[in-house]
Amino acid sequence: MIPNATAKELILAFADDELCVGQNHSWWIAVGPFLEEDLAFTSIAQDELGHAKALYSLISEDIDRIAYGRPPSEYRSAHIAEALCHDWPTALVRHFLHDTAEEVRWSAMLDSSWSELGAVAARALTEEQFHVHHGLSLLRRLLCTPEGQKHLSPVLRELTPLAREYFAGSDTGLVGSGVLNTSLVDQELIWRTRIEDVLDEFELEIDWSAASPSQGRAGVRSKDFFSLHDEMVAVLRIDPAANW
Amino acid sequence: MNTYEVFLKKAGKEPFSHAGAFDAPDNELALLYARDTYGRRSEGDQMWIVNRTDLLVADEEDLATADRDHKHNDGRLVAELRQSGRGQANELE
Repeated sequence: MIPNATAKELILAFADDELCVGQNHSWWIAVGPFLEEDLAFTSIAQDELGHAKALYSLISEDIDRIAYGRPPSEYRSAHIAEALCHDWPTALVRHFLHDTAEEVRWSAMLDSSWSELGAVAARALTEEQFHVHHGLSLLRRLLCTPEGQKHLSPVLRELTPLAREYFAGSDTGLVGSGVLNTSLVDQELIWRTRIEDVLDEFELEIDWSAASPSQGRAGVRSKDFFSLHDEMVAVLRIDPAANW
Repeated sequence: MNTYEVFLKKAGKEPFSHAGAFDAPDNELALLYARDTYGRRSEGDQMWIVNRTDLLVADEEDLATADRDHKHNDGRLVAELRQSGRGQANELE
């Protein structure tokens, strides 16, 4: 099938989320909390960049241009994905929220009538299950201790409502045409249940209405995006015509 | 943190061999970290991960006393005897 503009816009937003989170995760190379986590976390960063590449290639012939060559207003990333998270509690919590959402988002694209998208989703899900397992295992391990609770609980309360933005955007007609098997509204409900199930284990309550939805999908960029983007394109700017 | 020892095996007849060690807070995370620390470049098709505290470590002195010359049979002595025996048999013919 030939995807319509709504389908392409949804994929662009997903790809931009992956690009931002992949780039943000890679900041932890060599400075992760311990060597093994450093390797695991930055390997996830590579996977996320791979997902971004696979998604961009569904909607563009020129991946470098679409990834790095757009003005900020043409990005569609959620602000939670753009957040730099240069301290470990926020990086870990965002990883948990992002990958739990990502697994739901890919699952909604399985067996898509846009067959290339369905194939990308099936491949990504095999990696995604590992990402979710990793984030959840480490988060649980740390929340078991008073020290971990002290650092992670406030961050979970702050970031969790913001992460609803992963499911913002338009999906008009996409379930009807079989591009998605689950609407964005229903995806968000599945995601919320999964998050709540984990947080319930530690008697953590979330005020879901604490954050007003940001306008990332509409082209408004967060403050963090600009430094993230500068770093992303720093090498490219040295020689824009270079052939990699 | 626990320290884990990693053993890897490639497909085929090669036995498991020691690949190294790493740290993890528990067994569940150990399985995840082992994958990225020792298996991200397809170093093996199978992996054993052993918590170091579960390893039985033999006493080094006991090992030294188990070592005796007569146990170092590499087959050379028997081969020489057989060869010289064959030589004698040839002479008799």
